[in-house]
Amino acid sequence: MTDAVARRVVVADDDSDIRALVAISAKRAGLDVVASVEDGDKAWAAIQELRPDLVILDVSMPGLSGLDVCRLVRADPAMAGIPILLLSAAVDEPSRAAGKQAGAQEYLAKPFSPRALVAWLTEECPKNG
Amino acid sequence: MAYLSVDHPSPALKQLPTSLAFAIGIVLLLTVPGIEVTSELTAAIGIAMMVIATALAAIFTRIERLDRLSIIIPVIDLLAIGAFRSGTGGALSIFGTLLILPVVWIAAERGRRHILMAGVGVSLALYMPYLDIENAPSGISELVRGIYSPLVFAVAAAIINELARQTRSQLEAIRRLADDKEVILQRTVEFANQLQDSEAQIREADRLFRNVWAATTEQSIIGTDNTGRVDAWNAGAENLLGLSQGEAEGRSFVFEFHIPAELNELSRELNYPPGETVLNPGFSALVESARLGRAESREWTYVRKDGSQVPVLLSVTKRVNDLGQTSGYLFVATDVTQSREVARLKDEFLGLISHELRTPLSSILGYLELLLDDEENPLSDDQKSYLGVAERNAHRLLRLVGDLLFTAQVESGKFPLDSSDVELNRIVSAAVESARPAANAAGITLIEAVVADTSLVHGDPIRLGQACDNLVSNAIKFTPRGGTVTVSLVNTGPDAVITVQDTGIGIPASELNQLYSRFFRATTATRNAVPGVGLGLTITKAIINAHGGELDVQSTEGVGTSFSVTLERVETGMAALES
Repeated sequence: MTDAVARRVVVADDDSDIRALVAISAKRAGLDVVASVEDGDKAWAAIQELRPDLVILDVSMPGLSGLDVCRLVRADPAMAGIPILLLSAAVDEPSRAAGKQAGAQEYLAKPFSPRALVAWLTEECPKNG
Repeated sequence: MAYLSVDHPSPALKQLPTSLAFAIGIVLLLTVPGIEVTSELTAAIGIAMMVIATALAAIFTRIERLDRLSIIIPVIDLLAIGAFRSGTGGALSIFGTLLILPVVWIAAERGRRHILMAGVGVSLALYMPYLDIENAPSGISELVRGIYSPLVFAVAAAIINELARQTRSQLEAIRRLADDKEVILQRTVEFANQLQDSEAQIREADRLFRNVWAATTEQSIIGTDNTGRVDAWNAGAENLLGLSQGEAEGRSFVFEFHIPAELNELSRELNYPPGETVLNPGFSALVESARLGRAESREWTYVRKDGSQVPVLLSVTKRVNDLGQTSGYLFVATDVTQSREVARLKDEFLGLISHELRTPLSSILGYLELLLDDEENPLSDDQKSYLGVAERNAHRLLRLVGDLLFTAQVESGKFPLDSSDVELNRIVSAAVESARPAANAAGITLIEAVVADTSLVHGDPIRLGQACDNLVSNAIKFTPRGGTVTVSLVNTGPDAVITVQDTGIGIPASELNQLYSRFFRATTATRNAVPGVGLGLTITKAIINAHGGELDVQSTEGVGTSFSVTLERVETGMAALES
């Protein structure tokens, strides 16, 4: 571990069980979950306020969707470098393409394996900036 | 029959006047003084002959086949009268006049020879008194009388014969005419009946057409001439477009109910230069397929009277006149607003199902994995085994959701393929390897017979892999312990053929054609309690079809099943260079 301080992550999903599962995986990967919220508006507010090192967003949420939040982050020069992971129940190729187009680093289809999520977070997730 | 009796009177009827007149003669002979018998023998011979003639007439009447011999009766009559005359005074007898009666009979018969027969007969009768030498003609006057009278009778016979001939020929002409008239009358009656039947059929067809026309309220039917001018407008068109029959027929053109941009687009597609055709170019494009005799249904947007728009599925066909020429077109349109809405709702529902089922499954599978992976609080082997069952079933549910979503995508035509050049042998080998644990567990020998050469096809590797996996796992599922599943790949001409052959329970021949229907399960599958929902082959077939390939099956119940997939190969680098 070269990082002295654990990377901070904001998690957003309208399903509390999934939020908890993501949070557990993030902790196992050595991340610090600084906010765990249930909709897109709260996620966008938390991101602006906390400036996390990573954002994990569900695509389909009440209010702003995960894609909307992703675009907002990418449109803001101050935050454009924050890595974003999208989670979605939509597994088709156009949905994946839309996620990548909105600026997400990775698109993970539900159901996902916590083991795989931990592996991605520890090994493949790009660093902020 | 009545005229037959007059036309062909019986011998008895023809004999009757002669016999009666002869009988009256006998009565006169017996009662009138001065009329005396001069030779009893001759008179008696005459009477006897008359009796014979009358008897023959009666017999010939009874026995029809003797009718043609009946001409001898009037001849006997002549001789009888001759003898009677001879026995009652000879040339002085009053009974010579009786001769006229048989003469009429003979003369009326068909053929001129009867004139001669009558003349000779009369001569014989009149000369009969002179057969006695003592009575031989004494002077020239008696001789002349013997010639003159027969001559007069012969002339009379000739006239009668001719009149009879004419009457007969007239009668025959009349009869022919009557026959012809009868035939014509019969034909006329037949024609009249046919006409009546045809009229009834036309009326029935017309009634049926009117009923169908009036009952078609949900489909708009518009008829036009060759220029697109409306000449038929049904109730469905009134409902759909808001224009009454009176407002539309003869006043509107069918292309007025279309969006010009849509017509222009098709015109461009079909290379109709705007303004260069006699007809409105939009109309030409609209009827292009119908004009060429092709049946075409296409989605268009109709514009209602109030300007609002309605999506329709429109079929255009041509109308043909008696000479086989195109006389116009028929436009049958169905409002597809509702079916589009249903399709949209179906998509929405599937999206919802997909999301709503996947989300709880994510939790189930995710937390199960956390439990199984928990190194701090390791589970006992039993606990791991129980959770393994739960995990396996959660995955099964997930596959089912995926399959449902996939078949729905296939149905709605939204079936994305991420195609590239694919080495089919790798895909087949991967499918065999991934199925090997299941085959081992089920006690089934799994044989891979992939040819060494590469089989390069253009397709979606994930979908093709899914199709192969389905076929191999099906074969294992439907083969009893101890059986064999052989997976082979060969290149046949321009095609690559994958064959998955098993020694399983087989599929009844009567069910082979339903095999690819959604949720269909063969009776052999349900009878043997082989798990499944009946989506695997539907999906496999859809994948192969989407790749332009063919999926064939051969099966014998109790012996085994063989599925073969045929896909077109792409030319390999070397082959391309060679060609």
